[in-house]
Amino acid sequence: MIKRRDFLRFSMAGLASAAAGATGLVAWVPRAEAATINKTFYITEGLITQITGEDVYFMGYSSSSTSLNIPGESFIVQEGDSVNITIINTLGTSHSFVIDGQVDSGTIAGGASKTVSFTAKGYGSFMYYDKINSPYNYMCGLHGGMGIMPSGRSNQLYPGSPTFVQQQFWVFNDIDPAWNSRVQNRQTPNTTYTPRYFTLNGLGGRPPGAPGHGDPTIDNMHDPRSALHGHIGDRTLIRVMNAGKCMQAVHTHANHMEWLTSNGKNRSDIWKKDIIPLDGNRGRIDVIYPFEKPSDAYPPVTKGTYPMHLHTEMSQTAGGGFYMFGSMTDIFFE
Amino acid sequence: MSRRRSSTTTTTTTTTTTSGGGGMGGGMGGGACYIYPAAPATPGLVSADVTYNLNIDMQIPLTMDNGTTVNMWGFGSDGGMGGGMGNGTFPSPPMRVNAGTIVHTVLNVQGGMWNHTVHHHGIEPADHADGVGHITWDVDGVYTYQWRPMHPGTYFYHCHTNTVLHAEMGMYGAIIIDPPEGPGTLISGKVTYDQEAFWVVDEIDSRWHTLPWDAGTCGQDVGLNRLRPNYFVITGVDGSGTSAMNNPPISATVQIGQKLLARYICAGYHPQHIRFGGLTGTVYISDGRELPRPINVTELRAVSAERYDIIFEPTQTGNYIVTCDVLDWITGKVLGTVKTNITVTR
Repeated sequence: MIKRRDFLRFSMAGLASAAAGATGLVAWVPRAEAATINKTFYITEGLITQITGEDVYFMGYSSSSTSLNIPGESFIVQEGDSVNITIINTLGTSHSFVIDGQVDSGTIAGGASKTVSFTAKGYGSFMYYDKINSPYNYMCGLHGGMGIMPSGRSNQLYPGSPTFVQQQFWVFNDIDPAWNSRVQNRQTPNTTYTPRYFTLNGLGGRPPGAPGHGDPTIDNMHDPRSALHGHIGDRTLIRVMNAGKCMQAVHTHANHMEWLTSNGKNRSDIWKKDIIPLDGNRGRIDVIYPFEKPSDAYPPVTKGTYPMHLHTEMSQTAGGGFYMFGSMTDIFFE
Repeated sequence: MSRRRSSTTTTTTTTTTTSGGGGMGGGMGGGACYIYPAAPATPGLVSADVTYNLNIDMQIPLTMDNGTTVNMWGFGSDGGMGGGMGNGTFPSPPMRVNAGTIVHTVLNVQGGMWNHTVHHHGIEPADHADGVGHITWDVDGVYTYQWRPMHPGTYFYHCHTNTVLHAEMGMYGAIIIDPPEGPGTLISGKVTYDQEAFWVVDEIDSRWHTLPWDAGTCGQDVGLNRLRPNYFVITGVDGSGTSAMNNPPISATVQIGQKLLARYICAGYHPQHIRFGGLTGTVYISDGRELPRPINVTELRAVSAERYDIIFEPTQTGNYIVTCDVLDWITGKVLGTVKTNITVTR
């Protein structure tokens, strides 16, 4: 039995600060030649104190042996790149690093390290995750996002897709502390899954007046990995994925989204939607938020601040209450 | 007008205290957190082409087919005569205007009792007209939302204060934006219809319907992460039995050669799976935007707040039973089913 005091305890601030700046709104510059990309992830664990005061167990693909990053840093490579990922498993349990269709590390025993290499194939948005003890390990935090840009393209998800000028990741999760606790104790969850916390890129919302409101390392409304910032015309690709079990309804205010893909498949027509379904269990969508003038404003406006949130409104809560402390962020028309 | 400004240092919890409310069906809260009562002047206010005056009703009994009554909340229409206590309905009264119309939604809230907002879902106004409580303000008194819808289609409005609870309690109503030709035309110059049906499908967890308006806002665990519905409704009536059968404009009777437009709103939080009883429909618009190419469907899956505008042109007589399953958002298991019917005659 692992004792609770043996675990590092992380504040939300400590968590996000390790990852902040790693991936915010990114403009991509294509390379003429494929490159070699080297990355290292440390599999770490710890307790994260929620807004309710409840400590919840998590594991993560972290940037150092002393940090805990939930989700792991999202990253973008180019089609044809040689990608080398070194996984250092600091835990006593076996884990893996898998990107479906790209790479599978196989088992990385507790205390062991492994470098996996692959050539980035195709293009699109992918989740990297731990396939061992599925779905429990990846639901406990062992997941992150990867994008593959098509070779020679700076502004398209796939050749011929609608164009964008910047891109980022929204990685959602839902959390049942009872399940995480069982994983912590190397047991299989044996209760009905009842999520109590809902996150975007590892953080919950903090409305005005709440502790941590406006702190980008605590408040997902202001986390640069999540919040959208743009002027009119700053079309933004968002690579959306869901490590949780709940089916979600992604909802943006002020603009409809252009719906490009579902679960890795290009849609035959691009629909404009203010709600897009996102499957649980590693579901994915790609959307473009166009940053157009809000069409129904009178008098017309070009600036303002609006939310993105999941319309499956249970996901807007924390600990059974705390409305607006769940999975959401802000969209800033600047 | 900007939103409430962020402060990175404040830890103040703004609290409003409810008063009374014991007989008001939901006004029993002992205090609300992260709610900001206000009713500022509306920037850029001009004369409206159409005005909807809404007030609040926290006691709307809804009787189910088994005889049980569940209390709903909603908006009422006060006819512009003032007074914040409503004669609300479930669903709340519809709004219907032509594209290009300047609309005022005037919300009158007795802020001493509770706070609410109106968010016109899918409509894209200025942020001060977007009605998102907590991060802007929660109406206390009278506030005018000004907007000018430009895209025909089906939308809905709902309260966006403690939204998880207030929308589930029934604080929503349909918004229909017609093209300039008005009702009878779905897409200008392209698609017309003879009749309309309204399928607004929702689930109800009666446990939630005993909670006060501000439940959970200060962090109390009131179980708003768990929606375990025991009633299933369509356009304001129990849909699990017979109430929605032969009950226009939920049901419809059309003749061969006529076109029926069904406006389907997934008003619940759990995913839905609607089947058209053997009829094939054509979806022209979803979420208020025309599809690049219409699609023919015999069924649809939808998630919370999606809308579909579907045209049916039946070619054979019969009684077609439309069913909509509400599916658990985690397991996909069917939690309940609503049904109505389309009767096709010669």
